[in-house]
Amino acid sequence: MDEYQTEEETAFVVEEVTKIIKDSVEAALGGSAYQHNRVNQWSTSVVEQSLSQLSKLGKPFKYIATCIIMQKNGAGLQTSCTCFWDNSTDGSCTVRWENKSMYCIVSVFGLAI
Amino acid sequence: MSDLQKFQRRERYSHGFRGRTRDSFSIVSNLDEPHHDDNAQLAVTMENTYQMGPYRRMPIPAVTDILKDVLTNYLHEAKYEVEWSQGMTKTICEVIRARVKDLMIPRYKIVVLVHIGQLTGQSMKVSSRCLWDASNDTFASYSYKNSSLFGLATLYAVYLE
Repeated sequence: MDEYQTEEETAFVVEEVTKIIKDSVEAALGGSAYQHNRVNQWSTSVVEQSLSQLSKLGKPFKYIATCIIMQKNGAGLQTSCTCFWDNSTDGSCTVRWENKSMYCIVSVFGLAI
Repeated sequence: MSDLQKFQRRERYSHGFRGRTRDSFSIVSNLDEPHHDDNAQLAVTMENTYQMGPYRRMPIPAVTDILKDVLTNYLHEAKYEVEWSQGMTKTICEVIRARVKDLMIPRYKIVVLVHIGQLTGQSMKVSSRCLWDASNDTFASYSYKNSSLFGLATLYAVYLE
């Protein structure tokens, strides 16, 4: 059978995704301090930006992107994930970003079609 | 792969480095990179199923009940402690995944995300967006709150085409 795309072109490449996430977070939050009324807008723009960049990669994946923005005041937060999927094709990537006033955690899951 | 191995790999792939903006930095973590094992057994080529959609969809009310049941059972009257919470997010994840797998819905991939946080009057926003086939893929979410902590569990079910 003919392979129309090579393995490299259809794989979930963590470095690529990491870069997309970091760029989206920097673009949305870079340099700002926590402002309650802008959080909605920030989190929307982070996930939208990440997803649109990921879709431009043109890979056969369905994507799930989640973004958590939390004000920094000493409170703790733990997150974890488990997945039931095909380990050879699907992948995940999580970036934790912080500045003086807030934390931002972005997770992206790519599930091959 | 056992849970421990997965965790260690996760540690190994964690890098800390400075971002471009001053006073901010980011840490990346991911599960083991997807790869094809050379010594894995040959992939079995299946016959075409000619199946265009799922025979059974993910029953969202049942899944939400599972999330509610697990979160309430594990977090009821619990006090927030860092180490307890680290173990607890993982336990809850595993329990939810096992119970959803027990529903035996074929051809669905599952992603479970669990957050446990301390309540100290901070504000927080969780948002998510998905690029998928909205007619077959779905999600369920439940949040639990008591006087010292909150727990949030989200489950995404993605149909394997």
